Amino acid sequence: MGGLFTLGSSLIAEAEQTHEGLSYLGLWVNVLFVLAILFGLMSYAKKGLNERVFKNPITQGFEQVYLFIENMCVVIIGNHGRKYVPMVMVLWLVIFTGNIVALFLGESPTADLSFNFAMALIAVGYVQYEGVRANGLFGHVKHFAGPKLGGVLVIISGLIFVVELISEVLKNVSLSLRLFGNIHGGHVAVESMNKLGEPILVPYGMFLLPIKLLTCVVQAMIFTLLTCVYISLVTHHEEGHGERHAPAAAH
Amino acid sequence: MLGLGIAALGVALGLGLIGFGALTGMSRQPEAIGRLQVVMLIAFAFVELVFLLSVFVAPGIVKGM
Repeated sequence: MGGLFTLGSSLIAEAEQTHEGLSYLGLWVNVLFVLAILFGLMSYAKKGLNERVFKNPITQGFEQVYLFIENMCVVIIGNHGRKYVPMVMVLWLVIFTGNIVALFLGESPTADLSFNFAMALIAVGYVQYEGVRANGLFGHVKHFAGPKLGGVLVIISGLIFVVELISEVLKNVSLSLRLFGNIHGGHVAVESMNKLGEPILVPYGMFLLPIKLLTCVVQAMIFTLLTCVYISLVTHHEEGHGERHAPAAAH
Repeated sequence: MLGLGIAALGVALGLGLIGFGALTGMSRQPEAIGRLQVVMLIAFAFVELVFLLSVFVAPGIVKGM
């Protein structure tokens, strides 16, 4: 336990060292900037909603995003996946816009560990909420204990329960650190490439921008995809355990 | 520094294996490309996470010790 605590505090210290000059206020300004972009685009896209065929290009873009997210949800979660589209779509849009902001500004919300951790907390908390809503509180807790075992094997069920709880907590860490590491690592890579080209006055970092754009899309997709996978793991009640999430994992 | 190189080596091997497997599967079954891409990206994410942990977290742990 003490080791975990020192690990946590050293992580926080590391994060505080690595982000330069972004205070809480700066983070809020960044988040509000991202939200302003999103709401502006959406309110513009809403104008084109009344026609039978969407002629507004922004509306068409949002339609494509919606179809993409819906397809992802239905493929991974199954037929009841359409319920979870709004939450997943909000996560995708916020992360994607934050990542795009990271291309133009020195700082962005998704390059900050605290924002990512908050978002991962929200995502995992939403997964728990949906699990409770789908299976009931007792069913959701029982779900952690793995398959039903009889006799002396109850001890093993207890062990599985503890391990599942730990992995549930570690989902937060892995989701937030992945996003933080990719976006922040991109910034660090661009800076060091620029330093490399300093003697001959060529900003090498600009050649990394295409790959950073790819990272933006892929990271937004991976975050929402993993959220979908977690939702699909907790909300399958009709089918058996291995049967249901084998197709999602194996295809 | 050497540890960083070793981590990069391992992750490069892992990513290459994933890409190899996905490409082989895609060329054999072009109709399964969509599903294969999704799972390939998930696997990429898991492999990358190890490298990111080793780059961003391990220095903090070593300093903390």
